[in-house]
Formats: sequence, structure tokens, C-alpha cells
Amino acid sequence: MPKHDHWLSRRDYVRLSAAGVLTGASVPWFESLANAAVKRPRGKSCILLWMDGGPSQQHTFDPKPTGEFKPIKTSVPGVHIAEKFPKLAQCAEHMAIMRSMTTEINNHYDAKYYLHTGFKRVTGFEHPAVGCIASQQVGLPGDDMPSFVTIDAGNDKGNGGRFYRSVPGYLGPRHAPLAVQNPARGLENLNSTGGDTDARLKLLAASEQRFAKQYPVPAVNAKQAAFDRAVKLMRSPRAKAFDLEDEPTELRQQYGEHRFGQSCLLARRLIESGVSFVEVFHRGWDDHEGAAKRIAARAPWMDAAMATLILDLKNRGLLDDTLVVWMGEFGRSPGNGSGHFCRAWSAMWAGGGINTGITVGRTNEGGKNPGGTIEERPITAPDYMATLLTALGIDTHQEFMGPGMRPMPMVDKSAKVVKEVLA
Amino acid sequence: MLVGVASSAASANDPILEHDVLPLLQKRCMGCHGGLIQKGKLDLRTLPSMLKGGKSGPAVVAGKLDDSELWQQVIDNDMPSEGEPLSADEKQLLRKWIESGLPTWTQRKDKRDNPLLPADKKHEPARVAQAIDQHIDAALKAANVKPAPVADDAEFLRRVYLDLTGRVPTPQQAASFLDDQSPGKRAKLIDTLLASPQFGEQFGRTWREWIAPPELPSDMNSGRQPIEQTRALGKWFAKQFNDNHTWDRIVRDVLTANGELKNNPQLIYFGLVGQNAQVTAEGSARTVASLFMGVQLQCAQCHDDPYRDWAQHEFWALAAFFGGTRGDFKKVEEKPGESQIVIPKSAFRNAGTKVQISFLRGPTPKDKKATWRPRFVDWLTANDNPYFAKAFSNRAWFYFFSRGIVNPIDDFRELNPPSHPGLIALLGNEFAASGHDVKHLIRAICNSKTYQRTSAVTHDLNDQQRAAQTALFGRAPVRVMSPDMLFDSLKLAFGDPKLDLRSIDPKDGNTNGESAAVGDVVLQFQRDFCINEEDTTDFTHGIPQMLTLMNHPRLQAGSKALDEHLKQQKDLTPPQVVEWLYLATLSRRPSDEESAEAVDYVKNASDAIDAYKDVLWMLVNRSEFMLIR
Repeated sequence: MPKHDHWLSRRDYVRLSAAGVLTGASVPWFESLANAAVKRPRGKSCILLWMDGGPSQQHTFDPKPTGEFKPIKTSVPGVHIAEKFPKLAQCAEHMAIMRSMTTEINNHYDAKYYLHTGFKRVTGFEHPAVGCIASQQVGLPGDDMPSFVTIDAGNDKGNGGRFYRSVPGYLGPRHAPLAVQNPARGLENLNSTGGDTDARLKLLAASEQRFAKQYPVPAVNAKQAAFDRAVKLMRSPRAKAFDLEDEPTELRQQYGEHRFGQSCLLARRLIESGVSFVEVFHRGWDDHEGAAKRIAARAPWMDAAMATLILDLKNRGLLDDTLVVWMGEFGRSPGNGSGHFCRAWSAMWAGGGINTGITVGRTNEGGKNPGGTIEERPITAPDYMATLLTALGIDTHQEFMGPGMRPMPMVDKSAKVVKEVLA
Repeated sequence: MLVGVASSAASANDPILEHDVLPLLQKRCMGCHGGLIQKGKLDLRTLPSMLKGGKSGPAVVAGKLDDSELWQQVIDNDMPSEGEPLSADEKQLLRKWIESGLPTWTQRKDKRDNPLLPADKKHEPARVAQAIDQHIDAALKAANVKPAPVADDAEFLRRVYLDLTGRVPTPQQAASFLDDQSPGKRAKLIDTLLASPQFGEQFGRTWREWIAPPELPSDMNSGRQPIEQTRALGKWFAKQFNDNHTWDRIVRDVLTANGELKNNPQLIYFGLVGQNAQVTAEGSARTVASLFMGVQLQCAQCHDDPYRDWAQHEFWALAAFFGGTRGDFKKVEEKPGESQIVIPKSAFRNAGTKVQISFLRGPTPKDKKATWRPRFVDWLTANDNPYFAKAFSNRAWFYFFSRGIVNPIDDFRELNPPSHPGLIALLGNEFAASGHDVKHLIRAICNSKTYQRTSAVTHDLNDQQRAAQTALFGRAPVRVMSPDMLFDSLKLAFGDPKLDLRSIDPKDGNTNGESAAVGDVVLQFQRDFCINEEDTTDFTHGIPQMLTLMNHPRLQAGSKALDEHLKQQKDLTPPQVVEWLYLATLSRRPSDEESAEAVDYVKNASDAIDAYKDVLWMLVNRSEFMLIR
């Protein structure tokens, strides 16, 4: 089995160069992207909408006739979602709803780890998160833009266990995410708040050149390259991707004033400008007092933001190359959703060139406990991770070199892809 | 192959088992013919097992290609069964090795394993330093590689401050060393720094990170990281180092203590390396092997090591010493336990098997029941223990040179030989003979010419020569500052002990509680500026780190230390202020050229104070600031 190289193969280099990616500033990326779909030279990009704490499936994508929220018709005959999401219901032809997630772990942190990495937590090392794998596998190396960005979309009152930070583990710090703490502020420290940067850079340049001549070693080259990329980004029109002020007011409003909507909008802008993986997380879905009231309050902004995101990507020709994923670490107990429930829950995917307008798997409708058991096509966490990575165009049979020369499979050996979803 | 540089120059070009053949077999063959899987009953991990061979006969026969099954299988690409066939060069290597009679490192006469100093007594640090240089110089000479010259005072000063105290010197400290004309001033400075409390602090936090890297957010502790306890562990180590406790005593205090953490902060060690906030025998054994013995047993926890000659029962025989120890993040207790341990269900192989307690490749204790940890530590810290002193010495060497004499630093075994066998023997002997005196070993290393060489590339070298010079420790490495070093150095330069470089707005509400996305001031900096701990010459910072140093509002606001300096010393001329800024950041005076550039800049600016801030900005953003040269 091929061991994974931490850098690009020569073939990738050639392809990327041909696509103009590695030449950086000479390509007027951002301007051109407004009108044309990004032809990513390898793989697809992904926006992961993470509902931290565990969202209730019966109050979102797997409603039951006897449930607190009634099912409503969608744009796809036969597919129903919860009544609180009328706008998303009109996007069903772009969606694949997976209703048979079954993932073994009911405690927050371990489940977050499991659903972000495809592996159960072990002692001794950390598995890389899906965003870090995507960064390594489909990211555009040497690009102005970072390949993996996380966006903090805020926190409802309510808990959800310890926060999971995506770590690259043995893929190396290069694949760690860049964190946007607040979409309204964009990328932290992008601009100077004092002093004349140009004059300072000029003062710096001569001494850096002298130092590099005296110390022509990899660490110095790497520092200067990172520094140059940061300067390039500060000056690049593409950095405007981090600035929501550029968007027309009308579209900003369609996404919704809520921080989640603005995060989705920022995610779209980032994907458009070359970022490969964006994780938007919203915390506080651990609705132990019952999901109905809390989700009724969240539904308007979630509905508007996600429906707008899907349609906006579609209008820009980006939807086929961008997989939108909505999920949490598990679902909630059937009925009022007050408990954690990993046995049978839902995730929703949209776009990404996958099979859409479908549902995959089914939970029981009748009986004593509707929604308590899976009747069709169980999807395990490894299955899910393998399918997600495959959908992004990644060969999941690769191995990474883990600590102590231990070859680490990218996905667990038990994984079987959910073929129904893959086009 | 870095290590290969030494050997290929040392004698003929014949491939050597350890340097050339095993790495190839490991990469391409041992997955199916190693410790975990043995297709055709063939195990290629050691020479004896190759000679024994599998179902189809011996894998190799000295000098006889026709009888060597390994060769017969690869020549026509019947093997490897997966992936690309071996390349022509790889086949050539195997052919030469078999034809030349299966040479091994152990047989070599020219391997320079004489430590040069007698093993049974402690020597003066200067004498040890001299012997270190003899080892290094001999290998350089044998490989015909010219070493770099000794660094000038400024380069040495900054490096030794960062290495021994974890921060740059203050401008006063820097100036006083640079102006000192006395001949023994480097040795004197090393003594001063070793005696400073910052020495213990720096080595304490280094060990804290080796035990529990801060960038691992979750592992080993049920998602709740005992951050305060981990910091207390670092402080506990700091005190031990500053009190000059010997390494055997420190390790004994970690590994044999019992009771509550509030009285024994070092006991968090067991919780940190356990699982789900519980102490585990396997976690303790795995890390004790790696940290204190320099061997990697982690694979052997679940099955025989596929690549190295470690058996699963050897791991569990060691784990048995920790089988009677229970505890969590509050308390650790050992009760007298059995002399056997049962391999748990979580192992892939042999779950349920009972394994008899035993020292690693050593004797088996006779008792049926005992308090085992003290027994283990008695064996581990004995002067003739084969692992303990060398493991620490190699780690100490790695700390200064970014590469061990044995690599990886925790992979001591016969088939992974050191690059400088005599040197690792010398350091291990000296460390043991000194009673495991940490400062003695470090003093010797820092006084060597090898440590004090420049990291600049001083003469024309092609890539291969430069690689050889690096591999043979003929030039100091350029390293990346650890987050703690960088943070402390920034605090000094900016005169702000409470420096906060997080990017948060309190209104975002994401700094408190366990669901917080941003850590506290120190933790967040450690995460943001974490480095590649396995190779500190690998610069891994990217755009976010560069943007922070360039644009963070707190750094833009200027230096309180500079303000204070300007207030105290009125009538300073621009060259004097520029000099002070250089001393405060790069720990040296500017060259004439640098001074002229900065002074011109200040004179042409409308506001001198703002211009000094610009000069400070320029200095902090220099490669020279972020790196240890």
C-alpha cells in the first residue's frame, strides 16, 4: 500500500501549475471567481456546519407524524422534513438526507472526536480531523489562502461538553485550521492598526536578505516564505474574502443577521476564493430540557442561512464542487429530544456533485418508540467518514505514517462507503 | 540516509544491514513479513530470523544469491506483492549486501565505539567537552567534511540564554557579556545560567511538554485536560532541577510516590499518560519506556512490533510493574500486587493471556506479590542499567542539536545504531558516574566546541556536503523557538509580563467554560505557536502566526520596556536607542550598516517615538528573532 507523502506528488504539482494555482499573485483569482465556478485541480471543497451538542433529528430532518414538529412536503415528492424549515424544504432536490446514522458513542467529547476523525479516541496520539485531512489532500499548497478555516458561529446558552478543536495530529501543524473567532471581524490581525506597513517592510527587507545569505537553511527559507505569504495575503484582493462588508446588503440579509448566517456567508466567500474546507460551528444544541422550544427559536436563522447558502452556491456555479454537510456529534432521543441518542440519527448533505434529492436509510415510523430503531441501511461513523472523504475526491485507501513508524489508515478498516450517496 | 554519511565514508561502500537494508525491508516487506504478520512464516526483522527463513527456505545466504529466497522473490518482481516493484537501485543494494556476505554494523571494526574517557568516574566538564569534540571531529574527518567555525560571542550568547533559561537576555545582560573581555567568559556564563532559577523553569516546562504536549487537546483524559495540574507538574520539575536533584532521584519521586496530588503534584504524570482520567498500567509502561528508557514499546502493547524486535509479552512484562497502581487526577496509590498481568481485551492479539513480570531484557523478580514500582525504579536507576543514563543523555543532546545521537530519540535498540557510538557511550557513562547529575551533563555539552559552533553557512558547500555537515554535528542547527521561549522573549522585548496575544473580543463570549473555543492567555499562545517537537529545525508557522507578530494591536502599541528606558535615560541619541532595541530583541549590537539604516529611518520620520516602534517591529519580525541561530 502506498505510504502517504506529506507533500505533493510531482503529478499534482504539474496539474496545479497548469491551473495557475502555484503562481499565486499573478492570477487575479478573486475577481474572476465572482463569475466563474472554481475548477479545483484536485478534489472538492467542503463546508461543514457543525451543530455542537447534538441536534435533534426529529425536530429537523427526520420528523415523525406523531412528533412535536410535523413533517412538511419538500421540493422532492415523498421527502419530508420538519415544518420549521420551509426554505430548506424548497432545496430538497440538492440534498441527501441520511437518517440512519448509528455511531455507538453517547458522550459529547468522545462522540465529537469520533465524528470528526472517524476513529474512537485512543491513548498516545491524536487522529487528524476531517478538515485537516482535506487540507492535506485537496488543499492548494503554496496558495495565498489557508486551506482549512474554522468559524465560530456563536453559542446558545446551554452546554454541549468540551469544545473539540480540529488537530492535524501526524499530518503536521501545517494542516491546522486557521480560526475566525467572529465572522463580523473576519481574519484576525489581517490589517495593521498602526504604523506604515510599507515603510516597515522596506526597513525589514535588506536585513532579511542579508540573513538569508548567511543562513541559507530550511528554517530561514520557510520563515521568509510564510512571512511573504502573509504579506501577500494582506495586500491580496483575495483577502477581501474575509470581509463581509463587501457583500450586497440584500444577500447579507437573506443569509440572516444571526451570526450563523453571517458565518455561512463567510464560508461561501472563503470557498470561492480557494479555501478547501470550512467548518462553521454553533454551540449549544444539547437540549436536555426538550428540543422543541429551543429549535423553534433556532430554526428561522438556520433555515434562512442554509437555504441561502445552497442557492447562493448554486447560482455561482460552486454547488457541484462544494459539499455542504450539516451534523452534530449524535442525535437526540426520539420524542422530545431531551437525551443524547447515538443509535439512530440524521445528517444532511447538499451539493458536492453527489446524488441528491434522496434520503438514505430509514428509522421506524410506528411502534412504541417511533424513530428509536433503524430499519434500513445503518451508517456507522467509519462508513460516514469514508463516504465524506470519497465524496471530496480523496482516495481513502491511503495510509499516513503515524507516530513510531506506525502506518495509520486514513479511515477505519471496517468502513464501507455509502454508495447510494455517491454519484 | 543521514546516518549513512558516517558509515559510507568510514569504509567500503558495501551496504550495511542496519543502515541500508533494514530501512528498505521495513518500508517494503515487514508489513507482511514482520512481527505482526508472518506470511510464509517469514520474519525479516533481524538477521537471525532472515537466516532461519520461512517455508521456502532461508531468506538470505551469505554470498549466495541463488540460495537467497529474498533475492529470488524480488529479482523478477514476484515481491513485494503490493505497490511498485523495488527500484533498480534497491535491488542493487540487496544484491551487494548478499554478495558481500551480509555485513552488519556490529561486525564493523571502524565504528569508533571507544568512549575515550574511563567509565567509572566523573570528569571535569571541560575534559568531557573536549572528549565530545574529539568524537565529533573524528567522524567529520573520516567523512572528509569540514566543520563550521566557532560562533562569535553574540551568536553564542543568545543561543545559550535561550537553551538554558528559555528566554533572550535583557539588554543589560547582553551588553555586559559582550563587553566582558575576560578569557573564560563563556564557561562563566554557562555556570551563571545553570545556577539561575530560569534554568529549572525551562527544563521543567520542557519535560512537561515531553510528557503532555499542550497541542494535544483531548487525548488520554476523557476530554478534560488537567491543565492546572500539568502546569504544576512543570513547576515541580523546575524545583527539582533548580535544587540540583539527580535524575534518578527525580524519576524515583515521579514513579514511586503515592497519595494525593495536592501534596505530590508530580503524580499527575500517571493520569496524563493514562486513559479516561484513570491511571493505566499500559499507559505508564509505554511512556516510562519512551521517556526514561529510550525505547518505543507502543506497538508491542497490542501485538509483536511489526518492524522492531519487541515482543508483546515484553511490553506486558514491563506493564506488570504498574499493574497494582490505581488512581486518577486527584490521587495515585499502589497496593502490593501480583507478579502477573493479564493482557486486556483491547489488544489485537493474545487478549486474556497472563504475562509474568520481568525487567525489559533483564531478570525476572522472584516474589509472587510485592509493591512493584520501587522495585522497577531500583532496577531502572542502577548505574549499570542499560537504558536509563543513555536515554537521558540522548534526549539532552537532542534538546540542543534537534537530533539525537540515536534517532528517533526513543528508539534505542541493537538494529538502530547511534551515529556516534563512542559519544553516546561517553555521555551515558559520564552521566551515570556523576550520579545522574543533570547540570554536569549539560555543562559539559554547552562547553564543547561542537555546541558553540556557528549555525551560519560559512563556506561554499553543495547540498550533499551541507547535509553531511548537519548530520555529523559539524555546524549548529538553526532551530525554531518553542512557544514558551518565544512568549517569554516577547514579554521581555515589550516589557509586558502579562502580554496577551489572543484574538478575542470579550463580547464573543468564547473564553470561559469547557465549551470555550479560545484557551487562556498562555495555553492559547502555546497552541498557536506550537512547533514540531520531533524536529525543531522545521519551521511550521504559517500565515496566522506571521499576521499576529506583524499586526496584533498589542504589539503595534509598542514596548513598555522601551518607554521606560527612554524615560530613565534622557538625551539618548538615535544610535543609542537603536542599539538598545537590537540588544533587547536580537541580543547583539547592530552592525554599522544596520545602525545606519535604522538611524536614517528614525531621522526621516516625523515622530521619533513612532519610528522606534517601527524599528522594534522590524526586529521582532526578523527571522533572526524567531529562530535560535
